[in-house]
Amino acid sequence: MSRAGIRWTYGTILGAVLAFIVLPLVVIVWVSFFANRILAFPASGYTLDWYARALDTDAFRDGFVTSVETALFATAASLALGVPASLGLVRGRFPGRDAVQALLLAPMVVPGIVGGAALFIAFIEVEALLDIQVAGTLGGLLVAHTLIALPWTVRLVSASLASADRAIEEAAASLGAAPLTVLRRVTLPAIRPAIVAAALFSFVISFIDLEKSIFLVGPGRTTLQIALVNYLEWNLDGTVAAVAAVQILIVGTALLVSDRYARLVQAF
Amino acid sequence: MATLARSEVLAPDRAARARPRIPPGVGVLPGTLLIVLALLGPLALMLRYSFNRFVPGELMVEGLTLANYAKFLHDSFYRDVLLTTLWVAALSTLICLVLGFPVAYALVRQVGPRWKSKLLILIILPLLMGNAVRTAAWMVILGDKGLLAALLSGVGLTPPRLMYTPTAVVIGLVSVTLPFMIVTLQSVLERIDPVLEEAAESLGAGHLTILRRVVLPLALPGLLAGTMLCFILSMNAYATPVLIGGPQFHMMAPEVYQQVAKAMNWPFGAALAFVLMSVTLVLTTTANVLVQRRYRRWSE
Amino acid sequence: MSTTVALRSLIKRYGSFTAVDDIFLDVPEGQLVALLGPSGCGKTTTLRMIGGFVEADAGSILIGGRDVTRLPPAKRNIGFGFQSYALFPHMSIAQNVAFGLEMRRLPRAEIASRVARALDRVRLSAMADRLPKQLSGGQQQRVSLARALVIEPSVLLLDEPLSNLDAQLRGEMKLEIRQIQKAMGITTIFVTHDQDEALSIADRIVVMRAGRIEQDGSPEAVFGAPRSRFVAEFMGVTNLLPGTVEGPGTFRLADGNAIRVPVAGAGRGAMVLAIRPERVRITPSGADTAPDTLDAEIEAATYRGLSVEYRLRTPSGLCLTARRATPATGGPAMLEPGARVHVAVPPDACHFVPVEF
Repeated sequence: MSRAGIRWTYGTILGAVLAFIVLPLVVIVWVSFFANRILAFPASGYTLDWYARALDTDAFRDGFVTSVETALFATAASLALGVPASLGLVRGRFPGRDAVQALLLAPMVVPGIVGGAALFIAFIEVEALLDIQVAGTLGGLLVAHTLIALPWTVRLVSASLASADRAIEEAAASLGAAPLTVLRRVTLPAIRPAIVAAALFSFVISFIDLEKSIFLVGPGRTTLQIALVNYLEWNLDGTVAAVAAVQILIVGTALLVSDRYARLVQAF
Repeated sequence: MATLARSEVLAPDRAARARPRIPPGVGVLPGTLLIVLALLGPLALMLRYSFNRFVPGELMVEGLTLANYAKFLHDSFYRDVLLTTLWVAALSTLICLVLGFPVAYALVRQVGPRWKSKLLILIILPLLMGNAVRTAAWMVILGDKGLLAALLSGVGLTPPRLMYTPTAVVIGLVSVTLPFMIVTLQSVLERIDPVLEEAAESLGAGHLTILRRVVLPLALPGLLAGTMLCFILSMNAYATPVLIGGPQFHMMAPEVYQQVAKAMNWPFGAALAFVLMSVTLVLTTTANVLVQRRYRRWSE
Repeated sequence: MSTTVALRSLIKRYGSFTAVDDIFLDVPEGQLVALLGPSGCGKTTTLRMIGGFVEADAGSILIGGRDVTRLPPAKRNIGFGFQSYALFPHMSIAQNVAFGLEMRRLPRAEIASRVARALDRVRLSAMADRLPKQLSGGQQQRVSLARALVIEPSVLLLDEPLSNLDAQLRGEMKLEIRQIQKAMGITTIFVTHDQDEALSIADRIVVMRAGRIEQDGSPEAVFGAPRSRFVAEFMGVTNLLPGTVEGPGTFRLADGNAIRVPVAGAGRGAMVLAIRPERVRITPSGADTAPDTLDAEIEAATYRGLSVEYRLRTPSGLCLTARRATPATGGPAMLEPGARVHVAVPPDACHFVPVEF
C-alpha cells in the first residue's frame, strides 16, 4: 500500500474509534434536551424541562451535595497523604520501596466491589468490637473515598517528581538551605502543577465512584452516582440525562483545567 | 592570612550533626498506614471470613471450613459466572488490543505532537464521566428505541436486540477500557525510535512487515501492560454488567455484591471475591512471566 | 549493478522555508560524493529525498535512469546508513544484516552465506550472535554499513557516518569506508558538515548552502580554488580582502596598497582576494623589506599545538590571520602580541571570489 493509503487507513481507524469513545458523552447530552417522555429516538421536540425536574428531585439534589462534600474531603486527604508518599517513593531510599509502591497503587487493582465489601465488613466488625457506629457513617464513606483517590495522586505527583530537575534542589542546598526549606521553597513549588492536577483529578475520581459508595452510604444518605443508578432501574427519561449532562460539564471543566497544570496522561 | 580558630573549623560539622536528617522515605508512612488499615486489613478479614460457615438467618458462624469454596466449585451456576466473566473480559481485552494499537500508532507516528495531546485528552475525558452516566448513555444508544435502532430502521434494516445481551456488555466494557489501552500503548510506542522503522523500510520492508518485525517486538512490554490493565478492569467490572447486562447476565463482581449486601452471605461472598482476585492474579502473573522471559534477553 | 543518480529541479519546502531549492546533480556510476555544508543547508533533506523518506515537492530523482520520485524507500533498492546506525536492538548482528535479504525473499542458505561474507568484510564475524548494545560505537557503525551493503543496492546513502565516533575511530572509519566503496564500486553519496571528512573520503565534493549548490568539484578544486565567499570560509580560507583588480597582475586593496597577483583567473573590477592563513608569510620587521609586503602588528597569538595562529592588523585597519608551524624546541620563539612584522601574500596562494552583497 502506498504511503498515502497507509495514512488514510490509520486516519479512518482513528476517526472511527474516537467517534466510538466520544459517542456516549455526546448522546447523553443531546438527549437531555429531548421532549420525549421516555428516552427514545427520534426526538419529539426539544425542552429544558428535564433540567428543572432534576433540580427538583430530592435524591439528585441531596446526592449531589453529598458527592461534592465527600469529594472535597477526599481531595484534601488524598493530597495530605499522597504528596508525602510520592516524595518518599521518589526521593527516598529504603528496602522494600517497590513493595510500598505496589501497595500505594493497590487500590486500583482490587475490584471496587471487593474493596467496598471488605471495608464494609471490617467496619461492622469494628462496630461490634468498639461499640461505635462506623459502617454507614459519613466518616466511613470518607475513608473509602480517600482510599480511591490516593493512588491517582501518588501516580501524578510521582511522575512529576521523577522528571523534576534535581539540580535546582542541589543548588538550593549548596546555597545553605536546610532540607525542609528546600522542600518547602524549591521542590513543592516545582511540582505545584502536578499537585493541582492531582487535586482536581482526586475530586473527579471520588465524585464518580460507585462501587465503594454503594456499600458504605448509610440509610438516608446517597451519592449522585447511586441516585443515578437507582433512578435508572425504574425509568430512562430525560432527568437522568440532564443530571448526567451537568456532571459531564463539571467533570469536563475540572479535567480540562487540570490538564493545563500537568499532563493527565501520566496518571494512566 | 588569618588562621581559623579550632572551634570555627569544627563548628559547621557539629551543627550538621546536631540536626537529624529526616529520611524522605518517611513520607510514605501515613499513606501506607491508610492502605494497610483500610484495604489490606479488611481484605485479610474477608479472607478469614471466607472460611466461616453461613447459616441463613444467623449471618455468619465462626468456623474453619472450605465449604464456601467447595460450593463455588460444585455449583455450575457460579462456575458459569466465572467463565462468563473470563470470556467477556478476554473478548473485551482482545478488541481493545486490536482497536487500540492502530489508534496508538496513528497518534504517535501519523498525527503531529500538538494534535496528539489534544486527542489524548479527548480519549481520556469520557472515561471520567463515571460508570453510571456512561451506562445510561449506552442504554440510550443500544436500547430498543435507542439511537442505533433508530439509525438502522431509518436505513431499512431491522435493529437487533442489543440491550441486556453479552454483546452490549462487551461494547460497554470496551468503551471503558479502550482509553486505558490507547494511553498505555502510545506511551510505549513513543519511546521507539522512528529511525528504526525507516531503516527497515530502506531494507525493503512493507508497512505490515515493519509492524510485525520491528514495532511489535519492541512494544511488547507496553502491549502486556495495556492488556493486563484492560483485563483486570474488565474482570472487576460492576456497573456495566449490572446495568447493561440485565438480570439474566451474571459476572463475578455483581455476584459478590449480591452475596454480601443482599443475601448477607458474607462467607460465600468473601469466597467469591477471593476466587475472582486469585484467578485474575494468576492469569496476569503468568502473562507477565511469559513475556518477560522473551523480552528480558535484549532489554537489559 | 551500481548505477547513476540524477537529481532534476529537486525542491522541498516546509511552509515558507525552502529546504532544498531547485537542485541539479548528476552522479556517475561508482563515484563517492560528499554533500558538504553547515547545518540547515539542505544536505540531509536532499539525501533523505534520494532515499525516499522525504517526499519531494517538485522535481525528480532518477536512479539508474529510472524515475523513483514517487516510489517508497522499500522499492528503490538503496542502502541507507543512518547517523545513529539504527540497528534493531532486539535482533542479533547477524539477524540485523540478514534483514534486507529476508525482505528480498532469498533462500536461507544464500542469506546465511551472504551475511557471513558481509560480516567478514567488516571484520565482525566473531560478533554475529551478539546484540547491538554489546558492541562499541565503531563496531555498530560497521554493522550498519554491512547491513546496507549486503543487499547489493544500486546506491549507498550515508547520513553523517562519522559524527558519532570519537576522533581516533573517525580516522580509521574514514579509510575503511573509502576502501569498501572502491572495492565494491558502489555509487555512494554521503552527507557531512566536516570538511576534513569530505576531503579525505570523497571523489567529489558538493558544497551546499541554504538549499542550493554553491560549488561542485574535486576536493582539490573546492579546497584550493573556492569560487565563492561562503565556500572559501567554509573550507578554511578565512582571509578575505576586498579590493579592485587594476590591470594585469595588480590588485589594489581597500587601503590603497597594491599586491601582485597571478594574471589569469582574476577577472576585472571589484573582487575579494582569498588566501589561507597557512599561506600568509610573516617575517619580523627589521629584516630586509621585500616588495609586495604589508606592514602589520600582531594583535593576538593562539597556540594550537602543531601551529600557532596570529591575528594581524595593518596600520590601515586590515585584519589578517596567519598560521605558522610551531617553532621546534630550541628554535626561534613564538612571536608575541605587539611585535611588528612584514606580511607577504604570495601571488600563487591567492584566489579571487566575487563580491557578495
